[in-house]
Amino acid sequence: MFASAGISGTVGRAFLLVGFIGAVFGAFAAFTGARRNDPQIIRLIPRFSTLSFAAAVGAFAAMEYAMITRDFSLAYVQKVGSWSTPALYNFAAVWSALEGSILMWVLVLAGYTAAVSFWVRKRMQDLIASWALGVMFVVSAFFFLVSFFPANPFAAGAPGVLDGPGPNPLLQNHILVMFHPPILYLGYVGVTVPFAFAIAALITGRVGEGWLVATRRWSLFAWGFLTFGIALGSWWSYEVLGWSGVWAWDPVENASLLPWITGTAYIHSVLVQERRGMLRVWNISLLVATFSLTILGTFLTRSGVLNSVHAFSESSIGSWFLALFAVILVVSIGLIGWRGDKLRSPGVIDSPLSREAAFLANNVLFAVFAFVVLLGTVFPLIIEALQNRQIAVGAPFFDKLSMPIGLALLTLMAIAPVLPWRKASTETLRQRLFWPAWCGVAALVASLLLGAYGLAPLLTFTLGGISAGAAMRQVVLATRRQGWRGLVGRANGGMIVHLGVILIAVALGASNSFSKSQELSLVANVEASFSGHTFELKDVVEVRDDRSISVKALVLVDGKKIYAPAITKYTRIGMNVGTPSVRTSLTTDIYLTLEPPVRQDANEARIKVFIKPMIIWLWIGTALMAVGTVLAAFPGRRRKPTDATSAPIEVAAP
Amino acid sequence: MKTRRSVWLAMFLLVAVLLVFGSTRTGSPQTQQDRIDSLTSVLACPTCSGESVFVSRAVAAESIRAEVARQVSAGLRTDEQILSYIEQRFGGEVLLVPRATGVDALVWALPVAALVFSIFLLYSAFTKWRGNKPESPTSDDEQIVARALKTNTDEQ
Repeated sequence: MFASAGISGTVGRAFLLVGFIGAVFGAFAAFTGARRNDPQIIRLIPRFSTLSFAAAVGAFAAMEYAMITRDFSLAYVQKVGSWSTPALYNFAAVWSALEGSILMWVLVLAGYTAAVSFWVRKRMQDLIASWALGVMFVVSAFFFLVSFFPANPFAAGAPGVLDGPGPNPLLQNHILVMFHPPILYLGYVGVTVPFAFAIAALITGRVGEGWLVATRRWSLFAWGFLTFGIALGSWWSYEVLGWSGVWAWDPVENASLLPWITGTAYIHSVLVQERRGMLRVWNISLLVATFSLTILGTFLTRSGVLNSVHAFSESSIGSWFLALFAVILVVSIGLIGWRGDKLRSPGVIDSPLSREAAFLANNVLFAVFAFVVLLGTVFPLIIEALQNRQIAVGAPFFDKLSMPIGLALLTLMAIAPVLPWRKASTETLRQRLFWPAWCGVAALVASLLLGAYGLAPLLTFTLGGISAGAAMRQVVLATRRQGWRGLVGRANGGMIVHLGVILIAVALGASNSFSKSQELSLVANVEASFSGHTFELKDVVEVRDDRSISVKALVLVDGKKIYAPAITKYTRIGMNVGTPSVRTSLTTDIYLTLEPPVRQDANEARIKVFIKPMIIWLWIGTALMAVGTVLAAFPGRRRKPTDATSAPIEVAAP
Repeated sequence: MKTRRSVWLAMFLLVAVLLVFGSTRTGSPQTQQDRIDSLTSVLACPTCSGESVFVSRAVAAESIRAEVARQVSAGLRTDEQILSYIEQRFGGEVLLVPRATGVDALVWALPVAALVFSIFLLYSAFTKWRGNKPESPTSDDEQIVARALKTNTDEQ
């Protein structure tokens, strides 16, 4: 077995080289073909994208093979592989450290390149497609190169190693490790597609609305996966980390949030461009910002300049990513400057009280939000560079500043959906906001009756009520007019997404403001109570397997069911990991953690209890956002029923 | 129409009253645990940068948590005093919230500056757009129209 597995390193690296060559030739073919407008050359492009995708699949498969056969001749397998890791977590161990996660990036990016070239196969003569594919090939070549040299997952390890520690314990105790990273990457890497088309539009000078409409679904797809990936990460944090929170403002979380913020700004402001032909420079800048923030985020979190729970060990890839970031900025700004005359927008926004002005305000808020998150993330670096002094910027800073921004965004969500394009009179507003406003009053009254207090949460609930009313109004009017078709299309699907966001905002407001916690020292078979619930320790048990020893406290909650918070010691790594146990219901979660020190033979245990309202609505809201995104991706009412459903380009309304 | 307006007014009043009522009433009094949790969430875990003592499960965070709990249950020090005690005892920069003095204040000031600046940009954009919209036709324009109308009628 070892003999055959030793080959997987060589084979994997060869695949990376083939993929790199395929991407370079692809870029060459795409750029030359587009410049000479030569259909002979352009016809070759899909072959190169297929080649590099196949190579990426091969390299990834080689890595999986090495991991599954425990080929300890590879340094990477020595680092994250172990005979004792269960098969599922061993499969996911491939992306549990730096080199493997770059390899996954390579795979996803090559996959996107192949998918785009398949998608444009009938329209290859359209030079914008060739230029865009060229850009994607260049980015792919960069990642193949990073994976080949500085982050080589197939590097040979020290000889004579027969077993390893396995992945980080946090990456081998919950099934989400299978889903969160790949889904997040589908979003994170997916923003390369609209970026590539934006650059292609700048190069060809066809900066009108055609390319935007064409790539609308790609942007939405990437945004949806990014949203879903981030939400899965929050769920994971809640279920695994044991501090009862969903978001810690950790630098890596921020690195995924930053492109999400600019991406969200983009999918809103792009509607203004489609409808009115305005904000062209701004929209291209947002796409450039979104893509470059994924690269900057990778630099910040993978180069060792910032540390976080997600950060892998230090490596030399930092300078590579910094260089790519610089190139992206210089090229994009240069192109925007060069095409400045063509980008000038033809229209004006007539009134501050109009749909387009609301989108503009939305963009201002999201831009400030992105600025806050970026500033807070890199501020320790700035201070260290200026004064050689260590400071920390953590959750309290981000919480404090994001709250007013969140409330302002909720206010916009309440008003903007009822605003008409061009210009609204206050009379229209009064009329259209009438029922939504009553929804807000109802939400306020209901939350007061349930005992809520404090200005910020009450404002959140009130604004949430109005926004939900405004979103429902749109959906109800549309379905009344068009039946089930009133649920699809970007305006209606977008309102479903809004409803999901509102649920999340309300759930965050409630759980952040009205959580209670208490540490209880439980003695076996003696009932303790907290906040109207009873807790009784039944037993403390020890469970051993060949990678860990866990101590579980069996706690009877409310005399009904036993929950078992645990602390697990991963013996090979020497790390203790707590595992919370959660009783979920539609109104309140009871979140139990076992506090150290623990002894298995004891008849007592220290338990921390968190009572957290409305947590489940975060996940329901996420599901609603996902459904809304899918609905928004379906063509809206402008398509005729006789059209082929697979027709990729919608004709923009004038 | 008139009733609508008065209904709106009543609604605003109602919301204002309810918000004032709701934001002045308080929930259950702060427990010792609440105090421990809020103190530990502004303290940086020394071995894991970026995370608070409240969030982190690291050993160093565990011992600071225990110390804060001891101080709180002793009940002798104020929050401020406990924080500075922890700073003395564990050394280094322990706060997770940047201070509002010196260069560190920039992290608070810059977001506000960014917001003010972008609102100013929006405002000037709207005044510009409003400025160049109601253009009345010049005499040249009118001549062109007249000529065009004349050729049109001539042809017919």
